[in-house]
Order: sequence, then C-alpha cells, then structure tokens
Amino acid sequence: MSGAQEAALAVQKQDIRSRWLLSAPALLIIFFAAVGPLLVMLLYSFMAKGDYGDVRFGEFSLDGWVSVFFQRDIFDDTLGLADAHLSIIWRSLQLSFFTTLLTLILGFPTAYFIATRPPHSREIWVFLVTIPFWTNLLIRTFAMQQVIRNEGLLNNALIWLGVIERPLQIMYTDTANLLGMTYVYLPLMVLPLYASIEKLDFRLVEAGYDLYASRLQVLRRIVIPLVKPGIIAGSILVFIPSLGAYVIPRVLGGGKNMMLGNLIEMQFGSGRNWPLGAAMSITLMALVMVALIFYVRNASRGGSSHV
Amino acid sequence: MTETRTTAAHGGAIGMHGIKKWFGNFQAVDDVTLDIRSNEFFTLLGPSGCGKTTLLRMIAGFELPTEGQVLLDGVDISSLLPNQRPVNTVFQNYALFPHLTVAENIGFGLKMLGKPRSEIDSVVKDMLKLVHLEGRGGNPVTQLSGGQQQRVALARALAPRPKVLLLDEPLSALDLKLRKSMQMELKRLQTETGITFVFVTHDQEEALTMSDRIAVMSTGTVRQVGSPWDIYDRPAERFVADFIGETNFLEAEVVAVSGDRARVRLSSGAEIPATFPADVTPGGKVTVVIRPEHAQVGTPSPASVLRGIIREIVYLGTDTHFHIRLEDGTTFTVRQQNARSGSCGFSKDDAVGISLSDDVAQILRD
Repeated sequence: MSGAQEAALAVQKQDIRSRWLLSAPALLIIFFAAVGPLLVMLLYSFMAKGDYGDVRFGEFSLDGWVSVFFQRDIFDDTLGLADAHLSIIWRSLQLSFFTTLLTLILGFPTAYFIATRPPHSREIWVFLVTIPFWTNLLIRTFAMQQVIRNEGLLNNALIWLGVIERPLQIMYTDTANLLGMTYVYLPLMVLPLYASIEKLDFRLVEAGYDLYASRLQVLRRIVIPLVKPGIIAGSILVFIPSLGAYVIPRVLGGGKNMMLGNLIEMQFGSGRNWPLGAAMSITLMALVMVALIFYVRNASRGGSSHV
Repeated sequence: MTETRTTAAHGGAIGMHGIKKWFGNFQAVDDVTLDIRSNEFFTLLGPSGCGKTTLLRMIAGFELPTEGQVLLDGVDISSLLPNQRPVNTVFQNYALFPHLTVAENIGFGLKMLGKPRSEIDSVVKDMLKLVHLEGRGGNPVTQLSGGQQQRVALARALAPRPKVLLLDEPLSALDLKLRKSMQMELKRLQTETGITFVFVTHDQEEALTMSDRIAVMSTGTVRQVGSPWDIYDRPAERFVADFIGETNFLEAEVVAVSGDRARVRLSSGAEIPATFPADVTPGGKVTVVIRPEHAQVGTPSPASVLRGIIREIVYLGTDTHFHIRLEDGTTFTVRQQNARSGSCGFSKDDAVGISLSDDVAQILRD
C-alpha cells in the first residue's frame, strides 16, 4: 500500500469518526426521547403487575398482553374475549375514521377556498385557521362543551328557531366526541390540504374544462388525484391523534364513551395495571403504524411522480 | 352540438365583434373586430402584453369579454362555458395531466363527452399515429421529452375533433431545431385535419412561416390583418413594419402623387418611387420604410440614392449585414446575400453608396 493510499484511508477514518461525533447530539435525543421510553414500555408490558401499580421487576408475565384482548371469568377462570376493551378499540377506530372523514369534507372546500385567494390574502386566511392552536386544548374542549350542552348555544338556538322542543342530549355521547375531535383537529386537515392545493397547477383545471369535463368531473378526475398526497397527509395527521385522543373524550364523552386513550390512562391510574397499560399503548402504536404504512405506500405510488 | 362535432369535416369560422376586455382598471383588449375564416391557419402576433392571449382565452371561454360578441359559425357563443364550446386549446406549457398516461391524456376529452370505450381507443390510436407516437400510449407523460409532450398536447386537443384549435405559444419551450420541425408539423396537421387553427405567438418568423393570415396586435388593438406577404411587404404602419423583421425608416417629403404611386425626396436629395396605403399630398412629410434586403451596397456612383460610411460589417453565414451611417447621421442597414465565398470587398469606414431595387419603398400611415 502506498503512502498516499494510507493517508487517504486515515483521512477517511477520521472523517467517519468526526461524523459520529457531530451526529451524537441528535442520536442521543432520539435515543432518550423516542427509542428509550418505547423500550421501557415494551419491557413493562412483559412484566407482572405490582399490587399498587408499578411492575415487579424481573418477573416475566404475558398477563398484560393477554388482558388486552381477553379477560378471565371471575367464577370459572376461563378466558373469554375482553368485550369492553374490544368495543373501546372498535369505537376509537370508528370515531377516528368518521372524524377524519368529517374534517376532510369540511377541510377540503376550506383549503380550496384559501388556495384560490390572491397570494397576500391567503396568508391571512391561513393565519386565521391556525388561531385555535394558540389556546390550550382543554379550554377549546370546554368551549365546545358550552356549545353542545343541554343549555348550550346549539340547543338554545334550535329551540328558539322552533326546530326542537326539548334540548338534544349531545353531551356524553359519541356525537359529542365526534364534534369535539372534528373541531379540534380540523386545522390539521386544512393545512396539508392547502399546501397541496396551492401547488396545484390550475392550468390543468382549465385544460379539463377545455376538454369538456364538468365541474364535478374536473374535481374527481383532475383535482383530487393531484392533491391526493395532501388528502392522505391530512387524514393521517387527523387519524393518529384522534385514535389516541384523551382530553376530548374525557370532557365531552364522559365515562360511558371512553376511547383508547382514556382506557390506557385508567390502567396506569385507578386500574393499577401498568403491564396492561403498556401493552395497550403498544397496541395503539401498532394501529398507528398500520395507518402510516398505508400512507407511505399510497404517497409513493400516486404522489411522488408529479411533485 | 355533439353531432356537428363528430361530423365536422370543415373547421369553424370565428367572428369577434367589438371585443373589449377590462381587468380591473387595465384594458387588455380595446375594441377588436376580427373574422377568422373556416379552415384557416390564423395567427395572432404581437409583443407580450398586447392582448393576443386574452383574445384566445375569450375564444376558448376562459375569459368573458367585457363588451362584444364571440361567434362560432355565426352563432353567438359568448356566454357558453369552456366545456360547452367545440373548441380545444394547446396550452403554452402543455398542461398535460401528470397522473395519466399518454393514451389517457389523449382520450380525456372523448371520455368526458361520454364516447364508448371502443371509439376512444380507436381515435387515440389514430392520434398517436398522427403525431408519430405509436406505441407510447402506455407511457406516463412525465417521462416524455419536451417535443413529445408537445405532440401529446396536440393530439389531446385534436382528438375530440374540435371545430377550432387554439394554440397558445405552443412552441416557445422548444429548442430551435425542434421548433422548426414542429412548425412544418403543425402546418401539415392543419391541412390534414381541416380544422381552423388560431395560433398565438410573439415570434414573427413563426407567424410568417405557418400562417394563412396574420393579425398583428399591439396594446390591445389589431394593427393590421393580412397574408404574411402583406404584413411583411406592405406594412400599414410603423409598429407593424418595426415589429416584423428588420426595417429602415427614412424621413422623406412627398414630391408628386399619381395613382397608387408617389415620388418622395429623401434627405440626401435623391427622389425615389414609393407605394402608399393612405392618402398623401405633395409637400407632406412622411416616413418611408425600406427592408434591408432590398438595398445594395456599392461604390458611390450617380445610381446611389444614399451615401454613407460603413460603421460595422456583420457576417452571418448566408448573409452579410452592413450598418451604414448616412450623411444625415441616421443608421441604415443593408442585408446582402453571400453569393460567392470570400470577402464582400468592403471594410469598415469605407465610403459607400446605397442603391435600391425597383419599387421597394413604402410610405407608412402615421
């Protein structure tokens, strides 16, 4: 090996070393903030529960995982499906799905409206959409409560208009959860949709009209396929937090209409079953992962080719 | 409408009557009246911002005239939506649908018209052949070169057999060689399909090469309509003469008028014959236009109508340009073909005389 080669190799080695050193802060943050806690969760989910919460270290147990889906009969000790858990998971999925759908239906025209304004006024509209983020989630949820409770704005207005005679019971129902989540997560749908509609080449819309497409056909055949990345991104951004929602179902849904987030909280709190809580958290993550995989696959198929 | 479109063996005639278009406080089109004949290759030519694209968009239906009417074969279509007009557009940047294949792009219009699958397939096949893209139907349009995208855009606009095809500077994004071959191609397509083409460009050479008739536009008005020959050789006014090709403008005085001929006296004192478009009277001051290729450079002689000194000689391969400073200080350009190889025989600072071919000077309308 010649001297020059050796020198080059040495430089390369040093280069690699300094690269590791430079990326160390990022790696540390990723480990302590993301990977570490997840590992703790995973570990806890495979341990026996302690009597007053916590776990018994070193005592391996599958009980946590088993009780996510199954429950032991208190009389004959046989395993049956944990109906309560499954119905909460199912409700969470349903509510998240409908929240996503509602935000999409409300968010698409909003985003389209903003994207078709003159450039300087677009900024104002986007700014207006983000204003709710300035307020605490809890406060926004209580605001929603003021609107939909029995003596709230909505019921009073409907009674005044003579549409109904007695107030509608919206609070403490799934409808309340749905309305609350739709309201809170709507900006998360509008913003990515706006970003992608704003990039839309409106000459393509003109070309569509020119080629005899009606408004609906232009929307279906040109606009929607082209802004699909935004639709998917918005849907994911709404679906994921909806699935893990905690504050909204706690305030608006009451005890009967729990969602996955409340169920998990319960295991770490009054339930004193940390392994079960950990296992449920990881189940939730798995559901989110499935949604993300769907996103990545769709985005790479339809989205990237024309960006 | 559908019926006439499918059986349209001839192109539609467009009438634009008293068209005015305001965008806020800006008047883009000022009282334009134009008649575009059936089967014609008609070009709207002018610098950017002259209103030519706005006119085109009004034929397509993307803009509505503030005042005036747009007629298609004598029928007022001013209030029809773009998707109700049997008119298709080739957009400047093609505006191909990036999420569709070549064949899906070409078949889009027919699909929207609700044509059966079999008909769409056969038309798409014909169109691919027409624009020399056989076998590329399944390709995504994003993988095509600029020239190929251009041809897909053409095929897409031609597939529904419109009565009129509108082309909005479709060649401006192509390189010179491709542009030349596409010019021939467009002319061929127009003849083969018999569809009326309305072509918008700022490139005078493009306009001269392809058009049956040209409308020269400036600041929202039509300055002159005529065949390429009319526009180039008989410009009606200074703007047209200046915009189309290179031109020499000379101040002159009218000496005598007879019929459609006049004699004018140039600043050098020489008298030359000139044609004129409008009424001129003896003694009047006029501007005379002479194309650089209609003048010859020679050694000063009694035949020379102008004299001057060569300031610059530009060799262009086929031609040589002489920039000559005349005795009165103005610059006069002469373009001479390089018939033989070798030097032109003149060099910078030579004193030369300029002679003119017969009947090449024209008086401009003010």
